[in-house]
Amino acid sequence: MRHNRARNRTVRTEYADIEFENNAQRLPLVLCLDTSSSMSGPPIQTLNEALREWARELHDDVSLSHSVDVAVVTFGQQGVSTWQGSRQLPPQSPDSPFVPAHAFRPPLLFAEGVTLMTEALELAMWIVSARKTELRRSGLQYYRPQICLVTDGLPTDGTGHPTDNWKRVVPVLAAEQQARHFRLYAIGVGGITPRGEEVLQAFAPKFNARLNGFPFRQLLQMMSASATAEQKGAGDEVFEKIFSQFKTQRPAWES
Amino acid sequence: MDRQDRQDRQDRQDRQDRQGWYDGLDRHDGPARPGWRIHGMSVEGYRHRRENIPCQDAWHSAVVGPPDAAVVVLAVADGAGSRPHSGQGARFAVQLATTHFGQRAEARPQTAQEVHELLLDAFVDVREEFVSRTEGDPDDFAATLTVVVLAPTWLGHLSVGDGFVVVRSGAEGGERHFHLLPQPDAVSEYSNETVFLTSTDAEHWVHTECVRDDGIDGVLLSTDGLTQAALSRPPGRPRGANASFASAVLRSLDSPGPDPHADDRALAELLRSDRLTAFNADDKTLLRAVRA
Repeated sequence: MRHNRARNRTVRTEYADIEFENNAQRLPLVLCLDTSSSMSGPPIQTLNEALREWARELHDDVSLSHSVDVAVVTFGQQGVSTWQGSRQLPPQSPDSPFVPAHAFRPPLLFAEGVTLMTEALELAMWIVSARKTELRRSGLQYYRPQICLVTDGLPTDGTGHPTDNWKRVVPVLAAEQQARHFRLYAIGVGGITPRGEEVLQAFAPKFNARLNGFPFRQLLQMMSASATAEQKGAGDEVFEKIFSQFKTQRPAWES
Repeated sequence: MDRQDRQDRQDRQDRQDRQGWYDGLDRHDGPARPGWRIHGMSVEGYRHRRENIPCQDAWHSAVVGPPDAAVVVLAVADGAGSRPHSGQGARFAVQLATTHFGQRAEARPQTAQEVHELLLDAFVDVREEFVSRTEGDPDDFAATLTVVVLAPTWLGHLSVGDGFVVVRSGAEGGERHFHLLPQPDAVSEYSNETVFLTSTDAEHWVHTECVRDDGIDGVLLSTDGLTQAALSRPPGRPRGANASFASAVLRSLDSPGPDPHADDRALAELLRSDRLTAFNADDKTLLRAVRA
């Protein structure tokens, strides 16, 4: 009997009538994903598969599934877009793109178009800020949000030409990270160039990496590990360790 | 993760639970003194359970003074998740708290001001001994601390960090009233950041309260692991007690069942339930006292 009770983790009659509010602590997590034309073919397929597997893992984690809120921002086809789970939101939509992890269904992404990375990051920061306002208004407590930027290229303008407009966001990101408004991870994948790497270093001086290939599974697992550390109230050194382990494990995946 | 991995993990966790069912619980039925029935329990949270890390919460209680003027001291502490010896720190903090707050309470303060001073003096005692006796870096033992002193004519409350206290007092239309005692100000916008006993400016963040209310017949102390379950925050209104939770957990101590182990198991099941884990994956502590 005890075995069954432990497995089910249900509450017996004595406490079964307790009424709880839906007030779990929230952890906003934004995936800011490059879906420009250079990601077409196997990279975008790998990303879609990794998102599906990650969603399953999130569902299986009793804690993350009820505290993490996932939003997806893509930059590529149709410029910059937000996704509420699998649903692409129309531009200027009043709907929040955040979905509780237990209800998160990943989008099916297609690779096409230009790399409006700067605009995507600005949008990611904006939705994080709006989400915090919404949470505070609802009286909900929250953890420090996480934004994960993933790209294989250089920022471009709307016509696909490389641009330096990303420099405008660097001081903003620095101030926001200094004020601990969110944690930003900036990850370069595939054939990202040294110039592209420099951009990511400027965005996230401590938490940037260049990965060979497209190890999206490991990347998303690292985001879950980071979310878990956040829940445990870990110090910055723990996040640095998680990230460093993530980077040094690369050879195993790449081989 | 494939199905087999998942099954293995579940089996491991079940084994861990069974082993921990009695031994892993920090539980205790308080001394049979007149006045208050006391019960405390700490259980490891979902994260620690999955990673096989012991509970870093602790609680302790003591009854001091002569029987006709007994004073009950209740304390809970939450070890900082990021510190290596915080579980030990939490256990040390609650023991020091019951000792020092108990000693100071024997001064029998008369005014609210004297109660506040007593609480702060006891806090300084605890902090000094804690710092002097934690070898190495005291921050490695960082823990929050929440204390309630139940004296015959007053209730004293001191908290550093994000623990909280709910009292039961009064009724209206047959419904009991539950009150959240004021908490220290939040130190950050994030719910997992708080002040510890060892924080350099801890004394500035300490909150003390003196309550004079003969109608108080139930008290519960908790660490932040139960914040979302035990507290309520309706939009636009200040945070208060979740009457439904406080009512149920105090009621079960008002009218204990015939088998204390069964009562413990039922409470542990509640604290470990998926429902509560979904709110908060931290360790959970509930220290209750009701008038016997």
